[in-house]
Amino acid sequence: MTDCAMNTSAANTRRTGASRWFAPSDKLFHGLTLSAAVFVLLLLGGVIVALLEGAWPAFAKFGFGFLVSQSWNPVTEQFGALAPISGTLITSFIAMLLGIPISIGIAIFLTEICPMWLRRPIGICIELLAGIPSIIFGIWGLFVFAPFMQRNVQPFLIDTFEDVPILSNLFAGPPYGIGILTASLILTIMVLPFITAVTRDVFETVPPVLKEAAYGLGSTTWEVTRYVVLPYTRVGVVGGIMLGLGRALGETMAVTFVIGNAHRIHASIIGPGTTISATIANEFTEAVGDIYTASLVALGLILFLITFTVLAIARYMLMRLNKRAA
Amino acid sequence: MNVQVADTALETEGEKLRTKVSIKKLAFYYGETRALKDIDLPLYDRKVTAFIGPSGCGKSTLLRVLNRIYEMYPNQRAEGRVMLDGVNILDPKQDVNLLRAKIGMVFQKPTPFPMSIYENIAFGIRLYERLSKDEMDQRVEDALQRAALWKEVKDKLHTSGLGLSGGQQQRLCIARTIAVRPDVILLDEPCSALDPISTAKIEELIDELKSDYTIVIVTHNMQQAARTSDYTAFMYLGELVEFGETRTIFTHPAKQQTQDYITGRFG
Repeated sequence: MTDCAMNTSAANTRRTGASRWFAPSDKLFHGLTLSAAVFVLLLLGGVIVALLEGAWPAFAKFGFGFLVSQSWNPVTEQFGALAPISGTLITSFIAMLLGIPISIGIAIFLTEICPMWLRRPIGICIELLAGIPSIIFGIWGLFVFAPFMQRNVQPFLIDTFEDVPILSNLFAGPPYGIGILTASLILTIMVLPFITAVTRDVFETVPPVLKEAAYGLGSTTWEVTRYVVLPYTRVGVVGGIMLGLGRALGETMAVTFVIGNAHRIHASIIGPGTTISATIANEFTEAVGDIYTASLVALGLILFLITFTVLAIARYMLMRLNKRAA
Repeated sequence: MNVQVADTALETEGEKLRTKVSIKKLAFYYGETRALKDIDLPLYDRKVTAFIGPSGCGKSTLLRVLNRIYEMYPNQRAEGRVMLDGVNILDPKQDVNLLRAKIGMVFQKPTPFPMSIYENIAFGIRLYERLSKDEMDQRVEDALQRAALWKEVKDKLHTSGLGLSGGQQQRLCIARTIAVRPDVILLDEPCSALDPISTAKIEELIDELKSDYTIVIVTHNMQQAARTSDYTAFMYLGELVEFGETRTIFTHPAKQQTQDYITGRFG
């Protein structure tokens, strides 16, 4: 009995000894990982502070009017962000409107319908599409796609919807080739691989036995996809869409090439416009006065807030979806 | 003397047997590998038939041929015939979705769909029938009643099916299967993931369901086969070794292999 007790205490001493030996390196490890995490927070905070500081003169001069004015005049130094903001939101909205159904369609085809031998080639092509630098999309958009739009697509759209009440305003004006619609289509192509890749991956996480059960009831591929695969993966699909939206909102180079860079808001989506990132990229080198620079930084801050809000809404939606599913 | 009497009684009962599904010269391949060989087997109407045999003997494969679920996978194929009420279901011209509505399947693990309990049941019904709200409510309740789940879920029909316990989920899957009113129900080791109480409930359920359905159950559990089934097929290495009335198979098997397996000498 005493023997046993002694043994235990001896073991305990040994263990305490060991933990004392481990303690410093463990603390060091804690410290390292903690500082890595804090570093991210500091970076984020630093970026916000820098943006706020840089943008302050513009907000101080124009106040709330900066957000609702569409004048952008470097000569009179009157700046308003409405045109770039609306351009950013409209191009991203159209890109999502077209990109989401196409991406989900591709993902459904790849996981449910496509014969095995064709899956890898298509999958690899989509990943390659994601790897194309945006400047390439810009060049291609300007020299190949925009002329094509000017000669074929835009005249067709203008003629077709001439007599349709609302659509005639949407597709009005001369076919420049470049413009909001062209930029939106380029963005659509650019977000496709992102949404497709994520949706395909989450579709593949659906347990085969769940699909078998649905097919076993006599469902068609469409019914299985619509009522089992999509609900099962909706969190992941929303995540993929947000990833794509994030890219569309922030995309700079390709959009700058084809959007026309006009600080105006048109009812027509084939007319030229601008986005926040395109404006900044285009004008930063020629921004002379302080207030000009500050206005551009303020645009950056607004873009930052828009993407932040989109992400926050996405998180909130995912949280609610999760709660409902649980 | 008593045994004699029992046997004759069975004989007369046997006269009334109707073959619901008749498997003829069935072979099955996973790519180049042959998993089933020359299977000839009847499944009788409103009887429970158990498939038993060691792992890898082909009993689940055989079950998966019966509703052609194997067709989801490109390099699996079946040869031979499976006649359901005189129609060959392996005929490519046979509408596979209609067939699966007639032959329901319950899997080893519970597979509730990611939707509410009510929708889990209504989903299958909606695929083939247009019902009013009241009729649908009635069908859902019927199915849940028959699966002995109604009392447990009637106050939370519109919560997610994923929130139920394992045993409840499995009964939900059975309810979902019988809600579409199939002719045949295939059960692929339905209790292997369940605790003894849930298992007992499902076995009771099988006993009740056989008054209306032709049931096939694949099981590793010899007692379960003996308790629940009327007929038993013993399979080994892709071949049907012996088929007969369950009580005969378990008391006087004709083949030595069957004897060895049911007494636990191999498997």
